[in-house]
Amino acid sequence: MSKVYFSTWRGEQISNVGKAEDAWEESAYNLPAQYDDHRESKAFIGWDGVALFDPDVDVVRLATEYAAQYQVYSEACGRCAPGRWGGRILYDLLDKIARGEGTYDDVAHLKEVSKSMQLTSKCEIGKTVPNPLMDLMEHFKDEFDRCIDEQVPSKHYDTEVNYIAKITAPCTDACPAHVDIPGYIEGVRDLRFDESLRATRQTMPLAHTCGRVCPHPCEDACRRTNLDAPIAIMELKRLGADYETDHGFGFFHPAEAKPKGDKKVAVIGAGPAGLTTAYYLALEGVHVDVFEELPVLGGEVAVGVPEYRMPIDKYNQDIEAVRDLGVNFITNSRVSADMMRQYEKDYDAVMVATGTRISKKVRCSNERPELDGYWSAIEMLDQVNLFEKYGIGEEVDLTGKTVVCVGGGFTSMDVVRCSIRANAKKVYMIYRRDEKTIIRNTTYEEYHEAVEEGVEFLFHSAVNNINDEEDVIKSLLIDKFELVPDPDGGRAQLVKIEGESYTIDSDFLIPAVSQSADLDLLPQEWELEMTSWGTIKTNGVHYMTSRKGIFASGDCEYGPMTIVNAVGQAKRAASVMARYMETGEITLTDDEIMEDHLRKMRVYDKKEKVTGWLPGIPREQSEVLEVDERKDNNKEVNYGFTQEQGLSEAERCMRCYYIAMIAQ
Amino acid sequence: MSKMIQFTIDGRQVTAAKGESILQVARREGIYIPTMCYLAKTSPSASCRMCVVEAEGVDGFVLSCNTPPTEGIAITSDSQELYSERQSIMKMYNVNHPLQCGVCDKSGECDLQNKTLDFGLDEQTFAVADQRRDSKVWGVLSYDPHLCIMCEKCTSVCNEVVGSEALFIRPGGYKSEIDNTFSKCIQCGECISVCPVGAMASTDFEYSSNVWELEKVPSACAHCSSACNLTYEKKEKGTATLGAESIYRVTNEDDFDALCGAGRFGYDFENRVSEKDEDAFAIAVSAFENADTIRFNSMISNEEALLLQRLKERFGYRLINKEAKKYQEFLNAFTSVSGSSLYSADLESIRKSDYVVTIGSAVSTDNPMVRFALSVAVNRRKSYMAYMHPIEDEMLRNLVTQYVKYEVGSEEGVLAMLCEMIVDESAKETHKAFFDDLDIGYVSGESNVGEEELELLKKKLVRRDDPVLVIGADLINHSNAVNIAKMAGMIERHSAFSVMIIPPETNSLGVSLICDLDSEEGKSAVGYNVAADFVLSALGDGEGDLDMPALSQQEGTLTNIDKRVVPMNAALAYHGYELNDIANALGMKSEHVIDYTVQLPQESGFSQVRFDDLPNHYTDVGEEVRGYRLAPMVSETSATVDAISDIREFNGSVIYRCDPLMQFNPFTDKAHQIIDEALLRGSEQFAVAARIKDGERVRFTVGEDVYERVFKVDERLKGTVALNPSFDSSENYESYRYNQVKIERV
Repeated sequence: MSKVYFSTWRGEQISNVGKAEDAWEESAYNLPAQYDDHRESKAFIGWDGVALFDPDVDVVRLATEYAAQYQVYSEACGRCAPGRWGGRILYDLLDKIARGEGTYDDVAHLKEVSKSMQLTSKCEIGKTVPNPLMDLMEHFKDEFDRCIDEQVPSKHYDTEVNYIAKITAPCTDACPAHVDIPGYIEGVRDLRFDESLRATRQTMPLAHTCGRVCPHPCEDACRRTNLDAPIAIMELKRLGADYETDHGFGFFHPAEAKPKGDKKVAVIGAGPAGLTTAYYLALEGVHVDVFEELPVLGGEVAVGVPEYRMPIDKYNQDIEAVRDLGVNFITNSRVSADMMRQYEKDYDAVMVATGTRISKKVRCSNERPELDGYWSAIEMLDQVNLFEKYGIGEEVDLTGKTVVCVGGGFTSMDVVRCSIRANAKKVYMIYRRDEKTIIRNTTYEEYHEAVEEGVEFLFHSAVNNINDEEDVIKSLLIDKFELVPDPDGGRAQLVKIEGESYTIDSDFLIPAVSQSADLDLLPQEWELEMTSWGTIKTNGVHYMTSRKGIFASGDCEYGPMTIVNAVGQAKRAASVMARYMETGEITLTDDEIMEDHLRKMRVYDKKEKVTGWLPGIPREQSEVLEVDERKDNNKEVNYGFTQEQGLSEAERCMRCYYIAMIAQ
Repeated sequence: MSKMIQFTIDGRQVTAAKGESILQVARREGIYIPTMCYLAKTSPSASCRMCVVEAEGVDGFVLSCNTPPTEGIAITSDSQELYSERQSIMKMYNVNHPLQCGVCDKSGECDLQNKTLDFGLDEQTFAVADQRRDSKVWGVLSYDPHLCIMCEKCTSVCNEVVGSEALFIRPGGYKSEIDNTFSKCIQCGECISVCPVGAMASTDFEYSSNVWELEKVPSACAHCSSACNLTYEKKEKGTATLGAESIYRVTNEDDFDALCGAGRFGYDFENRVSEKDEDAFAIAVSAFENADTIRFNSMISNEEALLLQRLKERFGYRLINKEAKKYQEFLNAFTSVSGSSLYSADLESIRKSDYVVTIGSAVSTDNPMVRFALSVAVNRRKSYMAYMHPIEDEMLRNLVTQYVKYEVGSEEGVLAMLCEMIVDESAKETHKAFFDDLDIGYVSGESNVGEEELELLKKKLVRRDDPVLVIGADLINHSNAVNIAKMAGMIERHSAFSVMIIPPETNSLGVSLICDLDSEEGKSAVGYNVAADFVLSALGDGEGDLDMPALSQQEGTLTNIDKRVVPMNAALAYHGYELNDIANALGMKSEHVIDYTVQLPQESGFSQVRFDDLPNHYTDVGEEVRGYRLAPMVSETSATVDAISDIREFNGSVIYRCDPLMQFNPFTDKAHQIIDEALLRGSEQFAVAARIKDGERVRFTVGEDVYERVFKVDERLKGTVALNPSFDSSENYESYRYNQVKIERV
C-alpha cells in the first residue's frame, strides 16, 4: 500500500486530483514512494502505468524523460524497425510539445507511432513504453494542450530534476543474480554464443555451473508461462558456456579487467560466493587472495554436487575464468581467528564466504555422531567427490550396504543417487512430507531420475530411534505421519499415526536435513551479530557485517541456499566493497537501489494477458542418459540441448525487457 | 516425431513440417507476406516486423518469420489492419532515408524503394533530427550508414553462412550501424549480395552503372569445383569501343545460395580477340595433325573434355591431365571398395551434418563453399567439427571443435586410425589383413596424433546421426593415394559416415568421368591452357600460339562437387576460334560444342539431356534446380585395403602448395579486383628455421620447377610449413602438396 496522488499502475485508476491530502485514496501496490533512506520519489513510471506521489510533477516533462530513457536503452539495442525509429520519434515529438513548439498533428503522430510500437516491436520494452505515455496524455490532457495552445514550455521544463531509470525483465528480476536473461537468449538466437556468454557473465561468472544445476527461480517468473510454458532458461545458458570450451577460446569476460590498483581483498572460501566476489573485484582492478580450506577449489559445488550432475571439468572452466583475471588462490588453508585478525590488518576488506559445511542432526533418539554408520551428508559427499573428481582419498564402496538418508532437498538427492552409484544394495530416502513437496524443493527431473535409478522414497516418515549393536547401526525405527488440516485454516499439521511405526535394516544413516555454518574463524571479540539460525547477519542489501570492512555472503550469511543466491549476494557485495575501499562509505548505486525496489514490487505479473504471441509452441526437452547407462557411473546425465532445440527454444523467448523510472 | 502440423493461411489448408515457420510455409505455398529483413538462408533476425500476421483467437499480431504454426491455427496474412501497420513500418524506414535514389547503386532493385511504392507512401510527413555519419571502405565492400536500414542480413550471413564473424552490429538505437572486424573479413562480398538497400555496396561497382542497364547472363562459376550459381551482368562499355561489352559485376541467388569472393569479384578473365586469326588456326590444325599427345587441365567444360576424348578415340591421341588422372585413380580405387561410382556426400549433407571430419584439405582456400557449408553445420546444428591437417587454420577457429594436427606425410596412417575408429565389424572381417597389420602405436607415434585425440573424437561421435568425412587433395595426391582411397571407400560402405572427395580443380570430376586419361606422354604434344610444343590458350596476352575463349565466353557444362551437371552460358562474345573449330577441321562434325552435352557418357552417370533443356533456377523455397545430378553406378566390390606403408618423415623447410583466399588460377589472377600476390607465406617460426626474413626474395626448387618468390611472414600462421601458391601457373599438379625444399636468399 502506498500513498499516491495519482496511479494507473497495473490497471488501477486512482486519481486524487483536487482532493485534500488526508483524503487521498491509496494505491494497492508497494510503490517506491521513498527512494532511499534520505530521499523521496516524486513519480514512478514504468511499463504498466504511472504513479505520481507529488501533485507538482510536470507530467509533460515526465513523459518526455521516459521517452528519452527509452532512447538511451534503444541506443544499446536498435534491433527492430519500430523500436529504433519509433523511440526516436516519440522523444522528438514529446520534447517538441514540452518546450512549447508542438502541434496537434504531433499528438496524432505520437499516437500513431505508439500504436505501431505497441503492436509490432520486437521486445516488450518497445511494446510497453507507449503505455504510460498514453496514460499521461489521456489523464493530463489539459497540461499537454496548454503547451500546444499557448506555445509555452511545460511547467518545470527548465528545472533540474533527477530521473533514474532501470531496465529489467520478469526473469531477470526473479533471478537472485539478476542475470540479463533475455540478453543471453538473444545471443543464442543470433548464433553469437560468445555474446551470449558475455551477457551471462555480467552478473554471473559461473555460467557452466548455473547452466546445469540452478533451480532456476527465473522460470517461475517467465512471462511465457502466461501463454503456454516457461522458456528453458537455465539450459540455454549452457550453450554459450559450452561454446567457449568447445572451441578452446580464452575466456569471454563481460569487460576488460581494469589494471590492478593498490586495493587488496581477502576472500575466505572458494565456493560460489567466494569465486563471485573475487571475479567482480578482479574486474575492478582489486588484488584478491582467496583462501580455501580444502585441497580443491569450488566449495560445495565441487565436493557436494556429484559429477553426473555437474562435471568438474566444466566447473573448473568457471573457476579458471576467475583465475584468468589474476585472482590468487591459496588452497589447504583453513582460516583461524588469528588469521582473520591478521587479514583485517593486511587487507582493505575481507569477505567471509565459508558456506554451511556442518550437517544438522535429524533429531531422533540415540543420535550419536560416533556411531559406526552415522555419516553426515557433507562428509559422505566430500569423500565421494574428492575421489571421483580428483582421485583424492578413498573410493566410496557401498556394495551390500543399505543406506538411509533423511532429507528432502538437493543435498539428500545427491546422497541417495551417489549411494546408488556406489553400488549400495538398497537406498531409502526418508522425508517428512509428500512427493509434491519434494519436487517443489528440488526439481521434477531430479526426483524422477532418482526414482528411476532405484531409490525408495518413504514419505510422511521420520526416524524415531537408531538401533545399534555395540555402537554399530543395525536398524532404524521409523514413524509414519499424516497431514491433518488445521481447522482454523492454517498450515496442515503433521501428526504421527500411532501403531504404524516400523523398523528397517540399515547400515548407514545419512542426515541431510540441513546444514549449519562453521564459524570458528570469527574472532570472539569481534562480537559479530548473528541471525537466530546461526549465520552471519548483514542487512541483506550491502552485505557488510556488524564489523566495518568485514563482509559476508553466500550460505554462511543466508543459510543453506542456492548457488545463484550466493552469486547474487556476492556480486552485490563486491560492488559495495569496491566503493567502500575507495571512500570508506557503504553505498549502493542507483541501479542497485532500483533493482531492490523492483524486486520488492515484483516485475512478473502472473495475471497479465500476453498478446502478440502464438500460444501452444512446446517447450524443448533435452535428452538424458537412459537409466541403465547412468546409474553405475558418473557420466553427465543431461546431454543438454541440441542446436536445433536451443534455437527453437530461444525463439520462444519474448524478450520481456521493461523500463522503470523514478523522478526525484 | 516428425509430425506434420495442419493449419490454414487465408483459409487455405496447409501443412508444416517440424521446424518450419509460418512464413516458410506461406512462401512454399506461394502466399505473399512482405519482409524487409528475412533471408531464407539464415535464421531470422526478426528486425523488420513486416511479416506480422493475424492468428485466430490471439490478440495482437504474431511474427511469422520465427513462429512455427500450431495445430489448427487459422492465420490471416493480409488485412486492412495489417496493411496499415506494415505501412507505418515503411514510414519509419523512410524517416530520414536519403532520397537521392538517382545516384544510388541499388536504385531499380532496392527493397526499400519497391516496398515504399508498394505501400503507397508518396510523402514523408515527419522526420527527426538528422545525423552525420561516415561511410567506410573495407576493401571490396563499401558501407554507407545513411542508407542502412539495419535489417541485419549482412551480419547474419557473415556469421552464419560465411562463418567469419567479421561484420557486427554497433548498437546505438537511431545511431545503430554495422561495423567490420576487418582482420576477420574474407572479402567474399556475401554482405553486398544480401543487402536490400544500397548500404553495402561493391567498391568497384559503385557509381558505374544503373542496374537496369545491365544484361543478365545466368551461368556457373568457373573457378573451383563448387561451380556455384552466378549471374554475369554486362553492358557495352563507353562509346569508344562500340559493341564491345564488359562484365560489370556478378550477382547470385542470394536469398538461398552463396558465392565466394573469387566468384563474385573474379569475373573479368575473358580473352578478348578481335577477329579470327586464320594463319594461326591453320598452324594449330597442323600441330594437332603432327602431335600424338594432348595436354590439358580441368579448367574445361564437360563438352570439350568429351570432344578431346572423341579425338583420342578417332585419332589415338594420348590425353594427359595429371591432376584429373590422379583424381580418377582415387575415385576408381574408392569405388572398388565402396561399390558406388561416386562419393555420397554433397555440400547440403555437410550443411546438415552434426559431425564433420575434414582431412587433408586447407578448406578455407581449397574450396570456400565447403567452408561455408561447415559454417552452416556448426551454427545450425552445433556440428562437431574435427579439422585434421598439419597446419592449423586460425580463420576456422570459431568453427573447429577439435583440431587434430598430424605430421606431413602421415595421411595414410591417420586415415587408417580413423577407419579403426569408425567402421563396423563387417569391415573388420572383410579387410581383416589390413586391420591385423595395423599398428596403432606406430601410426600414433609417427603421425603425432595421440590415441587420446582419437578417443575424444570417438567419444564425440556418440549420438551423432549425420556424420560426414571430407577428403582433400593432400590425400588424393598422396604417394599412397590408391590405398587411401580404398580406406575412404571402406568408410563409405561400412560406417555411418558419408564421404566427400573434394575435386581439386573446377572440373576434375567431369574430366575423370569422361576421359580415358593416359599416364605416359608421347613425343609431341599440343597443350590446351597448359604448356606444350603448341599451346591453345584462353589467357590471351600472347600466352599461347592460338587464342581460345575463356570459360565465361563458352557454353557448356561443368560437373561440380555436388555431382551436379550445371550449365554455363557465354557472358561475352568471342570472335576467334574455339576447340570445336579445330576438331571440325580435323574431321569431327559438330556445329556447336554443346552438341556434345547430350552425348556425355551415361555409363558414368550422365543423362541424355540437351544443353538447351538444362534448367537453371531455384524454386520459391530455395530448392536448387540447376542442370541435373549424376546417377551413381553400383559396382561389385572386390578389392580389399592393403596394409599401410611406412610413414615418411619430412624434415627441414617444408612448403605446402596452397593458394591465397581469392586466387585459384591464372584466370582469377587476371581479374582486376583480385589482387593477392604470389608470395611464399610462412610463420615467424618458419622464418627463423629457414633463416629468412619478411620481405626477402627467396629461391627454391620443387621437382623440376624453380621458384623465386618474396617471402612474407603471416601472423595468422603457426608451425613450420610455409604456403607456396600455384595460381600463377597453368600447370596442373598430381604430386603431393608438401615438399621438402632448400630455401636460399636471392
